[in-house]
Amino acid sequence: MSTTRIRRFAAAVLLLAALAIGAIAVSACGSSDSTDTSASPSAGPISVTDDTGATVTLDQPAQKVVSIAPADTEIAYAIGGGSKMVGGTSYDDYPEEAKSLAKVGDFSNPSIEKIVALEPDLVLAAGGIQAGLRSKIEKLGMQVFVVDPTTYDGVMTDITKLGQLMGLEANAAKVVADMTAAKEKAQVRVASLDRPATFIEVYSKPLMTAGKGTFIDDLVTLAGGTNIGAAAGPGFPNFSSEVLVQDDPAVYVAMAGSQSTPGAIAKRPGYSGLAAVKDGKVYVVDDNLIARPGPRLALGLEQLAAMIHPEASPAP
Amino acid sequence: MTSRARTSGRLGIVLAVAIFAACLLLSLALGPVSLSPAKLVGYLTAGPGAGGPGNTIFWDIRLPRVLLAFIVGASLSVAGVILQDLFLNPLTDPYVTGVSSGAALGATFGIVLHLAPLPWMTVLALAGGFATLGTVWVVARRRGRIDIYVLLLAGVTISYFLTAVISVLMIRAGQDMDAIIYWLLGSFNGRSWPEVEVALFALPFMIVPLFYAREMNILLQGEKRALELGVDVERAKRVLLFAAAALTAIAVSVSGVIGFVGLVVPHIVRLMVGPGHQRVLPIALLGGAAMMGIADLLSRTMLAPSEIPVGIVTTFVGAPLFVYLLRRRRSGS
Repeated sequence: MSTTRIRRFAAAVLLLAALAIGAIAVSACGSSDSTDTSASPSAGPISVTDDTGATVTLDQPAQKVVSIAPADTEIAYAIGGGSKMVGGTSYDDYPEEAKSLAKVGDFSNPSIEKIVALEPDLVLAAGGIQAGLRSKIEKLGMQVFVVDPTTYDGVMTDITKLGQLMGLEANAAKVVADMTAAKEKAQVRVASLDRPATFIEVYSKPLMTAGKGTFIDDLVTLAGGTNIGAAAGPGFPNFSSEVLVQDDPAVYVAMAGSQSTPGAIAKRPGYSGLAAVKDGKVYVVDDNLIARPGPRLALGLEQLAAMIHPEASPAP
Repeated sequence: MTSRARTSGRLGIVLAVAIFAACLLLSLALGPVSLSPAKLVGYLTAGPGAGGPGNTIFWDIRLPRVLLAFIVGASLSVAGVILQDLFLNPLTDPYVTGVSSGAALGATFGIVLHLAPLPWMTVLALAGGFATLGTVWVVARRRGRIDIYVLLLAGVTISYFLTAVISVLMIRAGQDMDAIIYWLLGSFNGRSWPEVEVALFALPFMIVPLFYAREMNILLQGEKRALELGVDVERAKRVLLFAAAALTAIAVSVSGVIGFVGLVVPHIVRLMVGPGHQRVLPIALLGGAAMMGIADLLSRTMLAPSEIPVGIVTTFVGAPLFVYLLRRRRSGS
């Protein structure tokens, strides 16, 4: 009992340390912003292919950027592009400065008029429900870069590409290096361990999980678990509670957006016999760390690894 | 009524009971995790909490969910019979009175305010349903009489209004939007004994209309004719409307808005046994339960381990069946 408590304390300390390091890294990027922009007026047009397969071409690095996806906003700030941001959505909550961006609406309903009014040379969007927006925005003469990765590595690729588009390659490389380090650390930690059955609860009524082909599924694998939800198909499928009882997850992770607490989860019908409930391995994770394809995924990976393999957390 | 019609009615009820029992057994045995009849008997005799995943699945997940689907199906179907015949309108379903929209609005408030599903969301849903019924009732009441056409129009109008309010809440809800959408779609996923306990309150409201079968038969010929034949028309309307509203509100409060069963099952039953309510009411009760049970069975198993929202399945199963019966009847007559 006391050993688990010590382990948890250690995990908490580690998390705090990671947070602090992350914050320092981000602020460091921010401070190097001015030098980087002035240093890279690279000649010739910039051309990258985004996650939808579309080619995005800019004559020069983007100077005015609107993001309509919180994850994209996080990437832009993390690579030191904060000063180029001219608009965001009401969902933007990280970093703190992003909250004061001019708002163009919310994630599902951004106003095209407001985007046009800000005269951006680059609009950052997500896939899914925003897919229909692309053609509308492009028709009005703006370039759209869609960030819709399906793996952790895909997120890093997108960060690199956005670095090119915004002329912040060096900063982007640094963020990617940090994410790579976090991934390698997790890989080393869980390499020789078994891969416990892990269930990710995206929503509780109805029970929804992260299926295969999502970066959350990839994250669970990287963190040393086996994602039960992968059997239910792609995307974010509903999941049968009967199958959940039969598959008997050893680790149960609810996303905070599901508004569940470990106590309430343990009391659900049929859950009392789950190994995760018996062993006290029911957790709630901040959605924004595992559901946003941005640089903080590194932190999400670290948290997931600590939940799935608390025994592998290095001693403080 | 001829003796031949009476035997066919009795046969209909026997057949409905048989179908009901078969569907109940199938629903309990089949699922993403199949339980053989022998195992079912084992779990039943062992009782809840005997340990093992099979026992947990049966007692904590499968049995309450199946019971809930059956009760909700029966409730919506009986409410559909009552309302279609009171309004003399074949397009009526339990949702036109606005009661379901009221219940949906109550539940939406529950979601937006982050209240626990039970008891608060259920209480809010029931309150919303009955408050809407009260409003529609007051609008339709003139000199002590309920004007059934005003009631229908007021119900539909208030229903649209409440749906607009739900839409506004949904747009403003941000991250809760998905929760509202899923709730409105209707589902039995994750429901268990507490929901069954709420749903049990629907049983008396299913029984009451059976005592008004004669009045309902006469009302089919219009209120004037019924008055001439000595029926206490206002009393019958009050009791029947309240029963239908209570059934709808209870059903919506535990499972969301599940369409099609309340519209189609009454028609299917009438096509098969004629319009007499002594037969239509009990057969619709059993048939609605069986159809919802089978729809939920399909929703649990077709894409296992994933699930399909049950409202989609009721429509997929119900629509072709209904069209087939309509065709068959026309070519037969």
